[in-house]
Amino acid sequence: MSYRSASFGDFRCAHCQAIVSCAHLLSGVNNRNHCPYCLWSCHLDLYVAGDRLSACKASMKPIGLTMKKGRNKYQREARGELMLIHECVECKTLSINRMAADDDSETVITVFHESFTWSQGLQALCMQHGIVPLNADDREIVYSQLYGRHVEIPVLK
Amino acid sequence: MPSSLNHKQLIYPTADPTSLRHVVREVREIEHVDPIAIGDRVRYVDAGAGRGMITEVLPRHSKLSRPAPVPGQRVFEQVIVSNVDLVVPVFSLADPTPKWGLLDRYLVTAEASRLPALIVITKLDLAGKNRSFEADIEIYRRIGYPVQLVSSVTGDGIEQLKQSLQGRMSVLVGKSGVGKTSLLNAIQPGLGLRVKAVSQGEQGKGRHTTSHLEMFELDFGGTLVDTPGMREFGLWEITSEDLAFLFPEMADHVGQCKFGMSCRHDQEPGCAIRKAVMAGDISPHRYKSYMNLKEEL
Repeated sequence: MSYRSASFGDFRCAHCQAIVSCAHLLSGVNNRNHCPYCLWSCHLDLYVAGDRLSACKASMKPIGLTMKKGRNKYQREARGELMLIHECVECKTLSINRMAADDDSETVITVFHESFTWSQGLQALCMQHGIVPLNADDREIVYSQLYGRHVEIPVLK
Repeated sequence: MPSSLNHKQLIYPTADPTSLRHVVREVREIEHVDPIAIGDRVRYVDAGAGRGMITEVLPRHSKLSRPAPVPGQRVFEQVIVSNVDLVVPVFSLADPTPKWGLLDRYLVTAEASRLPALIVITKLDLAGKNRSFEADIEIYRRIGYPVQLVSSVTGDGIEQLKQSLQGRMSVLVGKSGVGKTSLLNAIQPGLGLRVKAVSQGEQGKGRHTTSHLEMFELDFGGTLVDTPGMREFGLWEITSEDLAFLFPEMADHVGQCKFGMSCRHDQEPGCAIRKAVMAGDISPHRYKSYMNLKEEL
């Protein structure tokens, strides 16, 4: 059994109480940093991802999506990797996290739609951190990344 | 020693030192790895011709202990050194890079033994290889620990270190390869210690140049105990509840949490220690060391 398929570090989500497996086979990432069901995370890192130096330890709410530019310069379109934006409910720190393969797509869409109603302050904070959130104009990118290129995109109400 | 007994149950004969045959007069069982540690003051019977027998170990005013690393066995106390005045954790700026978590472990042990500590950072001549060291060292200076930077190659800081060691019994602790033996040679030439260069082939882990405990009389006054490069340094007789008191910068915050003395300083709301970390009064690295050490207890 590969070390990546061993499920070390399974945890119970502090927000939705679901038991979360850290098996690489399920998540597709080496370090799972949020619950795949509710997408909530915990404020554990301070300077860089995985340093575990934050003393805040409060819950982090998924508030939107952004795009990490891909490294492959031969891509047909300048599309990168879909990323989650988390905001700490206590200290309001923002962080960007990779999505996992088993993240619930419907919940991702819900978070994406809710991000259209961001306050001016949150938008300014995001820009201050160099984070460009995806908006209603990016629905095609989001849906195609989650469900495939030929998915029918629902009409925005 | 009978093979059926636990090999950590030390049994020793107390015989008449002048007898021609080693007739056993009394046998005692001692639950220590070693009943006599370096630095102990003892009474002994002089048998002449450089021989003798220890009859009593006098009370210790201090000791530095660790759990004896015996996997699968009952844990025994190993007194590394007794009657010591100063703990000197030694780390190198580079080759190998300092493990600050290990330093915190040494400092906690010193605090638990109520011993002052002097942090010595060697290989100052390699400062170019470690750009973040000043910020790291400042963390400890802010807490109140004295830090001395030295180089056994250039001699920088050696005189200042000699002044700090003068008239005291000090113990050097640190991983192998950090330059403890070279440091000894620098502060007192002619000690004749065998110094081996750090084996680059072992990815900077270093060989155990020092293989046994040694105490040196210093020409300028005082004594120094060199210790083997210790890879295992567990905490002895320290409880989870006590640990925060052994981090001087955290001690004042203990009991100020929302849950008072019941707070585990982990995820509890209203934790004063976590609040102090967030406010920048406690280093996040020290807090992480605290949490890591706590997991062991």
